[in-house]
Amino acid sequence: MVSRRFVLKRLLLLFPVLFGVATVVFAILHLSPGDPAVTIAGERASQEFINEIRSDLGLDDPLWQQYLRFLGDVATLEFGQSYQINRGTPVSEILANRLPITIELALLGELAGLLFGLPLGILSAVKQDTWTDHLTRVGALSGISIPIYWSGPLLILLFAQFFGLLPTSGRIGSEYFIEPVTGFILVDTLLAGNIAAFQSAVYHLFLPVVVLGIYQMALLSRMMRSSMVEVIRQDYMRTARAKGQGSKITIMKHGLRNAFIPVITVIGIQFGSLLGGAVLTETVFEINGIGTLLVDAISQSDYPVVQATVLVFAVLYTLVNLGVDITYSILDPRIEQ
Amino acid sequence: MTIQPSKIAIIRWRATCTTIDDSIRILEATSINWVVIHTTIVLSDTEHTSRRGFLKRAGSATVATASVTTLAGCSGGDDDADSSDAGDSGTDSLRYGRGAHSSTLDPQNTTSGEVAKVTNQAYEGLISFQVGEAALTEALATDWSMEGDSVTLTLREGVTFHDGSEFTADDFIATYRRFVDEEYEYYFEDASAYGPFTLGNWIDSVEASGDYELSISLNQTYAPFLRNLAMFAAVVISRQAIEGEVNLDEEMVGTGPFQLETLDDANNRIQLTAYEDYWGESPTVDEVLFLTRGQNSTRAQALVEEELDIIDGLDPDSIQIIEGSDTAETRTVQGINIGYMGFNLSRVEAFRDRRVRRAISYAIDTEAIVENIYSGIAAPADQPIPPALFGHNDDISPYEYDPEEAQRLLDEAGYDDGFAFTLTTFQNPRGYNPAPLQTAQTIRSNLSDVGIEVTIDDRQFSDYLTYTSQGRHDATLAGWYTDNADPDNFCYVLLHPQTESPDDQDWVPWDTDGYNTSNNTAWANSEYMELVEQAQTTTDQEERAQLYQEASQIAHDEAPWVFIDYADEVRGVSDRVSNYTVAAIGGPYLEAVELG
Repeated sequence: MVSRRFVLKRLLLLFPVLFGVATVVFAILHLSPGDPAVTIAGERASQEFINEIRSDLGLDDPLWQQYLRFLGDVATLEFGQSYQINRGTPVSEILANRLPITIELALLGELAGLLFGLPLGILSAVKQDTWTDHLTRVGALSGISIPIYWSGPLLILLFAQFFGLLPTSGRIGSEYFIEPVTGFILVDTLLAGNIAAFQSAVYHLFLPVVVLGIYQMALLSRMMRSSMVEVIRQDYMRTARAKGQGSKITIMKHGLRNAFIPVITVIGIQFGSLLGGAVLTETVFEINGIGTLLVDAISQSDYPVVQATVLVFAVLYTLVNLGVDITYSILDPRIEQ
Repeated sequence: MTIQPSKIAIIRWRATCTTIDDSIRILEATSINWVVIHTTIVLSDTEHTSRRGFLKRAGSATVATASVTTLAGCSGGDDDADSSDAGDSGTDSLRYGRGAHSSTLDPQNTTSGEVAKVTNQAYEGLISFQVGEAALTEALATDWSMEGDSVTLTLREGVTFHDGSEFTADDFIATYRRFVDEEYEYYFEDASAYGPFTLGNWIDSVEASGDYELSISLNQTYAPFLRNLAMFAAVVISRQAIEGEVNLDEEMVGTGPFQLETLDDANNRIQLTAYEDYWGESPTVDEVLFLTRGQNSTRAQALVEEELDIIDGLDPDSIQIIEGSDTAETRTVQGINIGYMGFNLSRVEAFRDRRVRRAISYAIDTEAIVENIYSGIAAPADQPIPPALFGHNDDISPYEYDPEEAQRLLDEAGYDDGFAFTLTTFQNPRGYNPAPLQTAQTIRSNLSDVGIEVTIDDRQFSDYLTYTSQGRHDATLAGWYTDNADPDNFCYVLLHPQTESPDDQDWVPWDTDGYNTSNNTAWANSEYMELVEQAQTTTDQEERAQLYQEASQIAHDEAPWVFIDYADEVRGVSDRVSNYTVAAIGGPYLEAVELG
């Protein structure tokens, strides 16, 4: 079992990580050109008006004061109000609205990757050096090599514009207005009991999930295959078979559990990159998660939103990794030591 | 004929989808009942869902009606009612596609035209622009007069706000005070620069001499003032809302033909419904959806595929998509804007010589820029006032492309060996400049022909604004969309330093106290300044026009800008839309639109 101490230790590690991330974000934002006061004021503002905004926001205080204030805000989870994206709205509220969108997308992408990647990898390993294996491997290699900003538009071109089957942007048809409960559109449409809206959401999410899933699937099937191939060759596998166990049972019972350890690492690390991939996918498919939020906030000098969003990314990444480590130690108790 | 395997798969899939559709319709009939019940529960709730991102207006019968209609549509067993068209089955829904979502719904919290498109549907000013014209017409005021520095207005009776309260002079006063009066208990701390720009800088006091009489005294005779009242930022907000607990970033309480139904930030869209008690002619459509498609081509494609009805923000490529289709068309009107390159006289000595400025104006092939880079959706410019406004001088024509004349002028000014400067530009396309980088590159190559070396300094828009407002540019590409369709909005705002003019030179140092940084040239020509100031205090329209024509001539001859273009306003309009007028100022005017 996972000891409480282990989890606690890892959770405590979050603080230095976040402190580092916060510092870097703060530094980059304040070193980069562009004055948020000018952006807020717009083109019609007099210099006097801009100066007033600057002093209201404390942007003319010395940098170290701004930094300390920022750290204080982070510590109290008070990220202030958006300068530009949703003027006057607390950043925490914006994030609460946008985060589920990205998480839903990433989870679906991960799920698609797992559902197809793992069986393909296992199949490939078991049928090593057959046609099935070669085909899967070539597929996996292509999947890894194609970047999202290319596969995305390509799929849009093919399925949406050429065949006219699927929508190109957004998460749901423009005629459905579903009150968010969880923020996950698939769940919310079901909760609202609106099947047509649910179907519309599935249509809309199909392509983005495929785009995210392809890469996941490719990588996982490769990892699963090589890990499995190694495990199959182990002595204990041969022993199990020699003892008369059927080969399916051997693979499932002894093989999988051991072969999973490296795969889980990849799943964990990959979930982080899925969040990163979500930035691209969201941009290509115009989905309004924290990926597009971050891009918009950067281009509009919306400091509070940029800072909070990057921190959220960091927290998610760290937590997922913690999750991976915990899963590890369940699969192989030696790791905890 | 052979069918490829992939096509068979798709046909099969489609076939399955239809059957799913059928079963869903049955399911839907039952589920919609639940929606109706659910909605009824919402209706009995008095409070709104106060979470930004999805704000559904409760307390209105329209929600229930819409659901019931959908229910009727479904249970009626209408076979053509595909689930994806559910919105069309009962309600006439006008879908307006644009490039960005509203950052707020508060007209006093922004200078963004994107926000104005939505607030203009729900709010009205005392005065408004005539549909598709720069001329003024009555709105919440039925009559007005302006004598010297005093303005009196008679207000419309029998108008109600979306919150049910009745419109009176007090509402305008509350609106005004919220915007500019720091003494007011409900003063809006985050009020936009339009507060001082449109009202605060000019108004001394506002008084109600009755429920339906307003008198405004100005601090000087200011001819453009009535036009300022027609601007989107000067619309009237319900006093009850201002002094109540309403979050105006997320709700709109105006008197306009449409009212807010849902603000859905998570999906970048806004749903408005027709306001039943509207004082004027009720809108023809039941609802308007403002939908966001960030990429121009995606937006145009959605229009062509009949997922959108009207779209704006078109570039040459997306115009091509629309013109190649048989479901939609483009409509164009002359815009009220200008694109130009400004010389910073405060920074570059060479620019202080008008011969150099004129030489550069001759050396740049603006006609080729407008023709090739802007693909003909703009006209070459020759003066600060666009042709759609009074005061535009028809006798002026653009600088011809004439490198020889340019060289001659440079030689005369003593710059026969040329000189170098940096041209600052934004990177993103703007209406008046659809391709800033290409424009800058053309300018660089044109000027290298006459020995002037240009370095291009391209910046992200917010950085660009910061940089140029600090006067750090040598020369800059810039542009302007009108606020109030008055020549003053170009001549005074963009080319007047708003400081004293120095006696012996026609520029001021950038750091002069109170300098108007919207003038990115530091040009301060006393003759021009006098004309523009005089025009501000002249109320006779013809006299004003005359003054502006003279001022335009000076601006043209002195060339503080290289005049580049006046861009057209282009919209993509679906064939099912009729009665839509494209407007260069105000609007979009959607209340008269009909759907076929």
